[in-house]
Amino acid sequence: MKLDRNFAAQKYVLHPTRKKDMETMHLPFPRDWNPENLNLPQNWKEIALAKLDELRGKYRELQLFLDICVACGACADKCPFFIGTNDPHNMPVARQELLRSVYRRYFTTAGKLFHGLAGGRELDEDLIRQWYVYFYQCSQCRRCAVFCPYGIDTAVFTMAAREVMSAIGLTPRSLTESIAKCEIVGNHMGMQPAAMLNSISFAEQEIKEETGVDVHVPVNKKGAEVFFLVPSADYFGEPHWHTFKGYLKLFHRIGLDYTMSTYASEGGNFGTWLNYEHMKKLNRKITAEARRLGVKWILGGECGHMWRVLHSYMGTMNVNSDFLEEPVSPVTGTHFRIAQHSKTVHICEFTADLIRHEKIPLDPGKNKEFKVTFSDSCNPARFMGLIEEPRYILRNVCPNYVELDPSVNRERTICCTAGGGLLADETLPLRLRAIKPKIDAIRESQANFLALICAIDKAVYPEYLKHYDLPVQVGGVHELVSNALVMT
Amino acid sequence: MPYVTVLLFVGGLTFRTVRWLSIPVPTKVVVTPAPVTWPGVFERMSLEVLGFRSLMKGGWKLWLGGWLFHILLGVTLLTHFINFFDYGLWNQLGYGWYEVAGYAGIAFASMVAFLLLRRIFLPGVRYVSKASDYGVLLLLFGIIILGDYTRTFGAVSVSAVSQYVYGLLTLQPTLPPNNTVFLLHLLLAQIFLMYLPFSKVSHLVGWVLAPTRNQRNDARALWHRNPWNPAVELEPYSSYAARYERELEELGPGGERR
Repeated sequence: MKLDRNFAAQKYVLHPTRKKDMETMHLPFPRDWNPENLNLPQNWKEIALAKLDELRGKYRELQLFLDICVACGACADKCPFFIGTNDPHNMPVARQELLRSVYRRYFTTAGKLFHGLAGGRELDEDLIRQWYVYFYQCSQCRRCAVFCPYGIDTAVFTMAAREVMSAIGLTPRSLTESIAKCEIVGNHMGMQPAAMLNSISFAEQEIKEETGVDVHVPVNKKGAEVFFLVPSADYFGEPHWHTFKGYLKLFHRIGLDYTMSTYASEGGNFGTWLNYEHMKKLNRKITAEARRLGVKWILGGECGHMWRVLHSYMGTMNVNSDFLEEPVSPVTGTHFRIAQHSKTVHICEFTADLIRHEKIPLDPGKNKEFKVTFSDSCNPARFMGLIEEPRYILRNVCPNYVELDPSVNRERTICCTAGGGLLADETLPLRLRAIKPKIDAIRESQANFLALICAIDKAVYPEYLKHYDLPVQVGGVHELVSNALVMT
Repeated sequence: MPYVTVLLFVGGLTFRTVRWLSIPVPTKVVVTPAPVTWPGVFERMSLEVLGFRSLMKGGWKLWLGGWLFHILLGVTLLTHFINFFDYGLWNQLGYGWYEVAGYAGIAFASMVAFLLLRRIFLPGVRYVSKASDYGVLLLLFGIIILGDYTRTFGAVSVSAVSQYVYGLLTLQPTLPPNNTVFLLHLLLAQIFLMYLPFSKVSHLVGWVLAPTRNQRNDARALWHRNPWNPAVELEPYSSYAARYERELEELGPGGERR
């Protein structure tokens, strides 16, 4: 495989981390650099190879997937970034090959002896530059893994390559800026406690104006039963805001004893997309805060990668056997046995359970102007398997609900293409190309409301739909619940 | 040589498998549709192994080609075993079945040709193909064609081969039947078996080890241990509260809004 710097997708490169943020986060080799001049430390090659060697001894899936890919090509046309750019290196198998060829060259006998002939490739600065381009054109959505006959998951490679790159000081600003804020202030947006309080009071006021009901939102309340966690965009983002108000209305209606937190005011976790250490660190804030507040269990709002971490990683990284209590819905008495270890329940599981037990009065007629469709987000759909719950809720709160085309629905979804740290202005043209199959499906469904359960989805879809000139409103599943909820 | 082949094949595959299994799987990484129970996982893996279910999701052409290729490989292996160990079985089954097995051998070669042509003519697949990808297919094609030739033109009697195999198994090896085509078939097959554990063909074992497929979707229900889970430094609440003391007071006494 030749590498050609004139390939189509080469121009979409994320901006580098500022020296200041590298210092705050204690990242190695804080310095000024850019994708053209990487300004790498002198012994970068040894560091990178040592890191790669370390990782393949830590992750069975990495070593296994390095060895067994037969390059059948089944994944090639499944990656939205390949569909959108036609750049051969955006085929999942070719993206993996950027890493696999280095593994072959330095860690297999055939590669050590025959180099290129055995499919090996020298690790040089040019290749590392390609890594920085293409491993940051993967949103770790795992669509390829659904179609691979062996379940090979490109996200495993992307995560490994990013870990290697962060060890030699190559990280994008789109991630590190937010991580640094989250470590210090408590959320990716850098909202300080006063700003958060403002936002919450404002939500209370709006709910009062809209429904005439006084809701009260507890914050940092020790001894509450439930710790409620949302991605920080919910505090002010549009259209996230309406979903946020929906939660508050719902909790008021059922009289839930809950609290939010300023110290851990971020459910999202941009560390996930950098490396294990930073993912664990950000997640640790949540478990530490749950302990400090003395809550019984954690309820998580609508968010994609936040739920990838809460579902797949938190129980392993930060939860001990004495952590909190098994979640039980105080309204229906349902034991959420699916969460009996990490004690963390998804808001859609919680609400679906309420609806199933007919514990909340709903008037679907309030949503009758909407023809609603639902777009699965990659992390809830492919990491969690959370597919039926949001649909169950939507069918109960909307009279008109339609599914998207099966080719981009459920676990086959093409999501927002802005996950994995790609949410930055410099990748917008790339994302607009990659999202096209999903946009086509939305147009075909003739829906006028796109329901989502991911904060990044909610942030980017309005922009995409405007670009493609599609008059569709975007909102959260709990925005529609909020509309239909009868308040007294 | 056959003993070396078996040693390398079994030893190599065992080494590979043990190496894979010795590395931890630090987290749950299972991909939807993921069952929650072990019987569910068994069902999922069975469908994958027997029906290539995931490959089918991507399109029927590659699925059919890949699936038929592996099925015919199975048929061919089965035919070999019958020939080696219980030749009389053909008489019981009827001669028709023996003929069918012969046609299967030819179909097998054509499936390899399909995979090879696909690799050469589909631009995307060609782009990701390495020398070894073509090499393995060419080697297989050679083995099968030589095997088909041996069988169809009857240059070597099945009983002679059977005797040779028995000799090997009872550790009283005799010389293989003296026929150039057959000997070449035998040689290439052994090269393939020796190469297999150290190549991508090791997917025949690695396949079922993929944690994205063989895990249960129970990450929140049960503790999954990561043996190298590193400790992390975190700013404690007290130091955070000191920094935002004034702002937290706005929330209420002790920074609490009850």
